[in-house]
Formats: sequence, structure tokens, C-alpha cells
Amino acid sequence: MRNLIAFFKRFRVFLVFAVLQGLALSTYFTYLNFPRAQYLTSASIVNGHILTVKNDLTKHFNLSYNNYKLQKENIALRKRLPQSFIPIQSNVFKIDDTLFHQQYEYIAATVINSTFDKRNNYFTLNIGSSQGIKRGMGVFSDKGIVGVVHNVSEHFSVVKSVLTEAINIDVMIESSGAFGLLKWDGGNPKIGSISGISNDMKIKKWSKIVTRGGSGIFPRGLQVGIVSSFKPVEAKPLWDISFYYSEDYRKIQRVYVVKNLLKYEQKELESLIPPDKEE
Amino acid sequence: MRIVIIHTLRFVLFLFAQALLFNQLEIGFGIQAMIYPLFILLLPYNINIFLSMLIAFALGFGIDSISNTYGLHASAAVLLAYLRPIIFKSFEPRDGYEDTQEMNFYEMPTSWLLSVFGLMLLIHHFWFFTLELFKFNEVGFILQKTILSAPISLIVCILIQIVFIRKPSTSR
Repeated sequence: MRNLIAFFKRFRVFLVFAVLQGLALSTYFTYLNFPRAQYLTSASIVNGHILTVKNDLTKHFNLSYNNYKLQKENIALRKRLPQSFIPIQSNVFKIDDTLFHQQYEYIAATVINSTFDKRNNYFTLNIGSSQGIKRGMGVFSDKGIVGVVHNVSEHFSVVKSVLTEAINIDVMIESSGAFGLLKWDGGNPKIGSISGISNDMKIKKWSKIVTRGGSGIFPRGLQVGIVSSFKPVEAKPLWDISFYYSEDYRKIQRVYVVKNLLKYEQKELESLIPPDKEE
Repeated sequence: MRIVIIHTLRFVLFLFAQALLFNQLEIGFGIQAMIYPLFILLLPYNINIFLSMLIAFALGFGIDSISNTYGLHASAAVLLAYLRPIIFKSFEPRDGYEDTQEMNFYEMPTSWLLSVFGLMLLIHHFWFFTLELFKFNEVGFILQKTILSAPISLIVCILIQIVFIRKPSTSR
């Protein structure tokens, strides 16, 4: 017993050090997988307000560019308004019909904090559960997809961006329909990669990559990027495809959150598939 | 008492400067300037090591919670506080640290400052980026980030001392 006490006395500095390290590292590694420590993130009230003030100061730096972008998007949307169409066959043209059921709704949001040079980059949005945001919703901007909501508080939410190691959004190459999972290798915030496309598929450089909409997070056909290069993976029948993101995540500010009204129905149906037996 | 107030003020300033200013600067090439190690290095020489580790932990966690890194900065800061007395001891000048109040730019010789601060920042950055990337096949990138960031952090830390710390009067 005395030896034990002597041991603790001798190594007490190191023990305190080890305990603090353990505390810090366990928070870090659990957060990467599962956001349990919600009060410690930038979605918490105090930090959310600090970041709002910061954003109030810095948001005007890109104001003209953002206005330009919004204006352009407005034009594109205005083109689709019923007022800008001439009904050719008045008995066919109908705005409010029962053929199309609304599946996706969009909620506008502002990015109040973002990074792009870390290994895993998270964006903080200025809306939270009181605006109807839930974990697992998709986020995109007018130029491309941004990420998936990772953590929500009442007025703020943290988005796991596509500049994260294990983001795994299902995307496809628009022309051929070949689909794979989106990954990010770290380093360059302009270039992402796709894994899981078999190398007997023909792929053309500069072909467009869009979302597949398989998991119900994003609607089908949202822009992601364009293929920049591809090479075979060693010892596997797969392509290693890299592509340029269509959005520049270094200056992103205005985003939309996707609310899938039929997600529950899809999940329920898919849960009926019997699980694979492990062999 | 005065020293407690000074360090509390510094704690808050370093926390916000790091989280809201220096973590937002994105220079490219994986460079990330970190100034909060300076706060830990400038703590009084004879501070209790448990206290300094706790302060470092709190500072790191504060930065983490604002910039969504969840424990990375805390871990690196605690390591720094743990190694601080060991490294100070091994770089002790011949007549010890008897007269020095604070290990700052004006009190210590430049060669001491460069070697100790440089070494501490290298260790800190290496630990931080290793944990951040945490993969064997990214060793090159870890080294690139460390070797490019540490000198920049060192320069910024020295500039901060020149600008913000009052030069002690020579009459003393």
C-alpha cells in the first residue's frame, strides 16, 4: 500500500497530465464519430452568439459578390415562374396539379463560421431546431452541395462539410450514371474524390458529377463538380476519380438546407430489406 | 494579485484572438498560425505545474469549442504545459532564472528565446497536426504543416511580445 502511494506521489504530475490528455483525446475521437458533446461545439448558445457577432462584422466583405450570386439565381428561378410562360395548350398547362407531389422543401441559411484547411471542416449555420433543422439533413448552395447537418442546437447547427474525411455522400457521373461515394483526401479544398466506381465503366474527363439522391438527403441532380482526372486503384477493379468542386468552399456564405418530406417513408420501406448474412 | 489579473486578462485575449482571428486566417499550404502557446510559455516561471496544466486545458477547450475541433487544442496545450518545466530546466542559463520575472522577449537573450520557443512550438505543432490527420500515410503532410506553421507561429509570437509587452525600465 505504501509503495502504491509512493508510486502515485512520484508520478503525480504525469498522472494528471495523462488524465487531462485522456479527457481531451476522448472528446476529440468521440466527436469525430458521434456528436455527444453538444455543449462544447459551436452550436451551443454562447459560442453561437460569439460567432454571430463575428459574422456580423465579416459578412460584408463579400457582399457585392454574394448579391451578384443571389441575383443570378433569382433570374434563373424567375424564368421558371408561371408568369414567364405562355400557355400553348391551355387545357394541358396547369400550375397546381396532383401529378407532382412536393418531396423537398428548402430552408435558407447563412454560414456564420467555416474552415477549409483542417482535416475535418465543419460549418456553423445560423439556424437550428427551432427553424426545423434536424440531424442528417443535406445542405447545398446555389453552385453545389455543401454537406450534411451533424449537430443541432436551438438556434444554430453544425454542418459536416464535404471537406471531411468520412462524408460518404452518394454521387453519380451525370452522363453515364455510374455512382460512387464522395470522399475528401485532405489538403486541397478545391478537389474531392469518388470511390467505388468499377473500372470497366467508361469515364470522360470534364464530365459533370451530380448527386444521386439515393439516401434521400439530397434531391437527385444537384451539382457537385466536374471530373478532373482518374486512374485505376492498385489491386482493385476500381477507378480513383478526382474532381473539382463546383462550389468554392473558401468563400461560402448563403446555403439552403434540404428537408425531405418523404424521407421517413423511404427509410421505412428500405428497412424491410433483410440484412445480409455475414459469411 | 496583480499578476493574477494580468494573466486572466491575457487568457481571455489569447482565447478570442486565437479562435476568432488566427483560426480564421487561411494562408494556404496547410499553414496555421497558433499564438496561444505563447500564453502558456509566458506564465510565471515558478507556477505550480498542476495549475498550469489545468489553465492550459481550459484555454485549449475554449478555443476548441469555438472552432469545432473538440479537444485537439486542449490536448496540445496540456502537452505544452507538461513539457514546459522540463524544457526550461534543460535550457537553463548559467546563473539560473533567479532574476527573471517572465520569460519574455526583453528579459531573456534572443538565442534562448529562439531555441526554447522554437522547440516548444515545433513539438506543439507536430502533436497537434499528428492528431488532426492521424494517419500513417499522411506523414509527409503532417511534416509539411508542422515545418511551415511553426516558424510563422514563432514570428507572430515574437512580434506580439514586441508590440504588447512593455519594455522594463533599465533602472531596475
